[in-house]
Amino acid sequence: MSRFIATALAATMLVPVAAHAEGQIEVLHHWVSQSEVDALNVIRKELEAKGFEWKDSAVGGMSGANAQQALRSRLTAGNPPGAMQFLGWEGVQWAEQGVVRDLNDLATAGGWREALAPQLLPFVTSGEAFIAAPINMHRQNWVWANRKLFDDAGVAVPKTWAELIETGKTLKEKGIVPVAMGDEPWQIGIIFDALLSDINGPEFYQKTAIDLDPEALGSPEMVKVFDMLREVRGLVDDNFVGRDWAVATGMVINGEAAMQFMGDWAKGEFLAKGLKPNQDFYCFATPGEVNAFQYLIDSFGMFTVSDETVQKAQVALAETIMDPKVQKGFNLIKGSIPARNDVPVDDFDDCAKLGYHERAAAIEKGSMQGAITHGFAAKPEFASVFSDVAAQFFVGKMSSEDAVKMLVSGIDNAR
Amino acid sequence: MSASTRMSSRLAGWLPRIVVAPSLLVVIVTVYLFILWTGVISVTSSKFVPTYDFVGLEQYVRLWATPRWHTAVANLFIFSALFLALSTGLGLLMAILLDQNIRAEGALRAIYLYPMALSFIVTGTAWKWIMNPGLGVQKVVNDLGWTDFRFDWITNPDMAIYTVVVAGVWQSSGFAMAIFLAGLRGIDNSVIKAAQIEGASLPLIYRQIIIPMLRPAMLSVIVLLSYIAIKSFDLVLALTNGGPGTATELPSTFMFSATFRRNQMGVGAASAVMMLMTVAAIIVPYLYSELRSENNG
Repeated sequence: MSRFIATALAATMLVPVAAHAEGQIEVLHHWVSQSEVDALNVIRKELEAKGFEWKDSAVGGMSGANAQQALRSRLTAGNPPGAMQFLGWEGVQWAEQGVVRDLNDLATAGGWREALAPQLLPFVTSGEAFIAAPINMHRQNWVWANRKLFDDAGVAVPKTWAELIETGKTLKEKGIVPVAMGDEPWQIGIIFDALLSDINGPEFYQKTAIDLDPEALGSPEMVKVFDMLREVRGLVDDNFVGRDWAVATGMVINGEAAMQFMGDWAKGEFLAKGLKPNQDFYCFATPGEVNAFQYLIDSFGMFTVSDETVQKAQVALAETIMDPKVQKGFNLIKGSIPARNDVPVDDFDDCAKLGYHERAAAIEKGSMQGAITHGFAAKPEFASVFSDVAAQFFVGKMSSEDAVKMLVSGIDNAR
Repeated sequence: MSASTRMSSRLAGWLPRIVVAPSLLVVIVTVYLFILWTGVISVTSSKFVPTYDFVGLEQYVRLWATPRWHTAVANLFIFSALFLALSTGLGLLMAILLDQNIRAEGALRAIYLYPMALSFIVTGTAWKWIMNPGLGVQKVVNDLGWTDFRFDWITNPDMAIYTVVVAGVWQSSGFAMAIFLAGLRGIDNSVIKAAQIEGASLPLIYRQIIIPMLRPAMLSVIVLLSYIAIKSFDLVLALTNGGPGTATELPSTFMFSATFRRNQMGVGAASAVMMLMTVAAIIVPYLYSELRSENNG
C-alpha cells in the first residue's frame, strides 16, 4: 500500500529532466517559492557542471510537514530519495533510525566541522557521524521597520524592550499600527523566543529553551517574559487574525505599520520593492543587553542507498553544498547568510552584513542559539508546548502567572 | 436438472459475492486494518516513527493532560451540535418554503445548493475575509455610519469557534434542503388532502404529519452532516488555521499536528482512537434505533 502511495506521489511531483549524465540524484525538499527555486538552481547548476543530474522532488506546504510525510512513505517502501532537506532535529532523528549516510570522511577531508559554528554541530552530526550538509543560516530575531515612519514620529531605533514599547506607543498615538503580525503560533513564537534571551540573558535561554530546566521554567524571570509579551500585544492591531507574515511585511513596506518581528526571509519583500536597507527600512536585532542571534539552518542529508551511481552523486552534492562559492551564490538569492563562517559577505546587503558580524560576536558571547519556534532548540514535542502557551496567552486574557504554570505542566506532560 | 444449469445456478449464487469481494477487501485493508493499526500505535511509546513496545494507556493519560486536547474536544461538541442543529433546521425550513409551489423554484434551489459545490477551503477563505473586522462586514457597516458596530468574533478566542459554525452552516444547509425537498416530494398528496378535509391547519399538518414522515430523510441528513462535522479539518485550516492562538483547534487538527509535526505519534493515535470511540458512541445507537424501527415498520 505504501509503495503504491509512494509511486503515486513520485509520479505527480517529479519534473522530468534530460537523461544522460554520470549519475542522477533525487532531492526531496519543500522549497517552492520563486526565490527559493532560484537559489536552489545555484546548487543544481554546479552539480550539473560536475556531470550529475539533479532530479527535483519538491513537496511544498505545511512548513515542510508534507515533505516529511512523503519521505516517511518513501522510506517505508524501501525507496528513499538520494537526498533530503532537513529542518531542526529531523536529520538527527532519521540518523538514529539508521537510514542516513555518514559523510564523515568528506567532512574531515574538507574541514567542515571547523568551518561551522560549534552550536550547529548537534544538528548536523549524530555521534561520530556527519549526517547533513548545511547550506544557509537565517536569523529569526530581527525587527524590520519603516524608516520614514520612525523619522516622522521622531523616534530612533530602540535599544531596549522598554524603549521599543515606548516607541510603539508614540507611533500608536499617531494612528500607525506599531507592530504588524498575524496570530499564527509561530509568528507569536518569534517574539517569545527573542524575549526569553533579551530580557533574561542567553544563559536563561539555554536553561529554559534547550535544557528544559523545571526550576528556570517556573521562575519569576519567566513571568517577566510573559509580562513583556502582553505589552507587545498592546501594540498589535485587532485585525491580526489570519494575517500571513508576508502581508504583515507588506504593511510595514506601505507605511501602514511601523515594525515587524520576523526572520530575515522578510528582507526579500523589501528588496523586491527596490527598498534599500537603512535608507528606506531599518533592520536591527531585537534589543537586549547581549545581542541574541537566534538561528535556523537548512541542511541536506543523504540516505543510505545501494545504487553506486547515486552514491557518487551524493558525494558530489554534499561537496557542492559545502563549496564556499556555492554558499555565497545561494545565500545572495535566498536572503540568508552562508552556514559556513569563513565565506566573506562583502557583496551582501547591509542587513546580511550586520547579521554576519553580529553572529561572530554572538558565537563568542554564547548568545548564538537555536530558535525554538523553528525547531532548533528543544525537540518538537517540547517546542510545540512553548508555542501553544505563548499563542494562547497572546490572543487571550490569561495572566502571566497562569501562563507560566501552564508552560511548566505542559513541558512535564510531554517528557 | 442438467449439470450445466446446476453449474450456472451455483455461479449465480456466488456471483454477487465475487463481485463484492474486491471492494470488500479494499475496505477491510484500508479502513479496518488501519483502525486496528492506529489502536496498536496508541498503546506504544511511538514518537517520530512507530516503535512496537507496550506502554499501556500512558499516551491516553498524556493526551488527557494536554490542555490543547481539552480545547479540541470542547470545540468539537460546540461545533457539531450547533452545526447539526442549524443546518438541519435551516435546511428543513428552506425545503418547506420552496415546496409551496413558488415561482422560479429551480433557480432558487440551485442558489441554495450552490455552496455545496465549493470546497471547504474556498468557503473558509471567503468567510475569513468576510468576518475579518478590518475587511468584511464590520468595516462595511462602520463605513456606512454605524461606527460602534462590532463583529469581531474571529479575533476573539471565546467566540472564534462560532465563526466556524457560521461558515459550515452556510455551506451545508443547502445540501440538507435538497435531501428534505426530495423527501417532501415523495410524500403522497392524498395524506395531506385527507388531513385538510379533517380540518387540520397547515402548521399542524407539517408538525404532526409531514415532518414525522421525513424520518428517513432526517436519518440521511444527520448521518451525512455528522461525518462532515467530524472531518471538517479543511474548513478550520482555511478559516482560522486553529487560531486565534489555538482557540479553534478540533480533534482532527490536533491529531494531525501531534502525529506529523510534534513527534507525538502515540498521542496522535490515542486522539484518533478517542475520536473513533466518540463517533461510535453517538452514531451506533442512533443507527441501531433508526434501522430497527424501519424493519418493524
